[in-house]
Amino acid sequence: MDQLNCKTVFEVPVLGGISESVVVTWIIMAVLVIASILLTRNLKVENPGKIQLLLESGISWTNDFFEGILGKSNRRYIPYLTTVLIYLGVSNTIGLFGFKPPTKDLNVTAALAIMSMCLIEFSGIYKNGVKHWMKHFAKPVAIVAPIMVLEIFIRPLSLCMRLFGNILAGFVVMELIKAFVPLIVPIPLSFYFDIFDGLIQAYVFVFLTALFMTEEME
Amino acid sequence: MEALIAIGAGIAVLAGIGAGVGIGIATAKSAEAIARQPEAEGKISKNFILGCALAEATAIYGFIIGVLIIFFL
Repeated sequence: MDQLNCKTVFEVPVLGGISESVVVTWIIMAVLVIASILLTRNLKVENPGKIQLLLESGISWTNDFFEGILGKSNRRYIPYLTTVLIYLGVSNTIGLFGFKPPTKDLNVTAALAIMSMCLIEFSGIYKNGVKHWMKHFAKPVAIVAPIMVLEIFIRPLSLCMRLFGNILAGFVVMELIKAFVPLIVPIPLSFYFDIFDGLIQAYVFVFLTALFMTEEME
Repeated sequence: MEALIAIGAGIAVLAGIGAGVGIGIATAKSAEAIARQPEAEGKISKNFILGCALAEATAIYGFIIGVLIIFFL
């Protein structure tokens, strides 16, 4: 049961306690930064290597995917969404290496959802102007305005709860199984709960963010 | 009190029934749609994943309420 709590690892004098999820996030950040520096060295136009081809196909897949949702004119949001996708993909599957996934902490998913909320509203305001943004609350009929205003906060809440709940549920189930049958049985279940579910949730998070942005930019 | 908390958490997880039925229906329909029109598989599976994510949210809410009941009551 004490696996569920988010422990405080150490204390920093001014900032207060640093929790486990922050430390794991730092590790992920370091690994991703080093990996991206190492992988993007020696990029060539003529006869590219295997790694470069792999990178190019991955980047073009994400670019096509987001462009299909957001449309050609909103390419500027793609790098942020790709970054979130990579971070979530790594952090959801990091249970394989014996770390606790940082997305198991409600604070991490809440921070990501608040960033998504800001981006969704910003994209709407940037595209159509403040006036149109204020008007769109009363779009079909004026009486739905309170519900439309609530929707600003409900969308990030459901994004945050979906990610947190899925990862926590997978984590709890895996811990229970490991406690009951430590041998062999966890392996196939780990494929589902650690790899498949984590990647699907990362995909769903950025997919829904992009979808809400298109909705807002109409 | 302990027993009541356990029963409450169990009842909260009953929310999973709805999500199970909903995702089952969605899967059946999407399989049918792909069988009818295999060339539209990309669009269908994209919508299917979106629908599953939205339907699954209810089960997740039930689970979170269950965890909250166990830990904070």
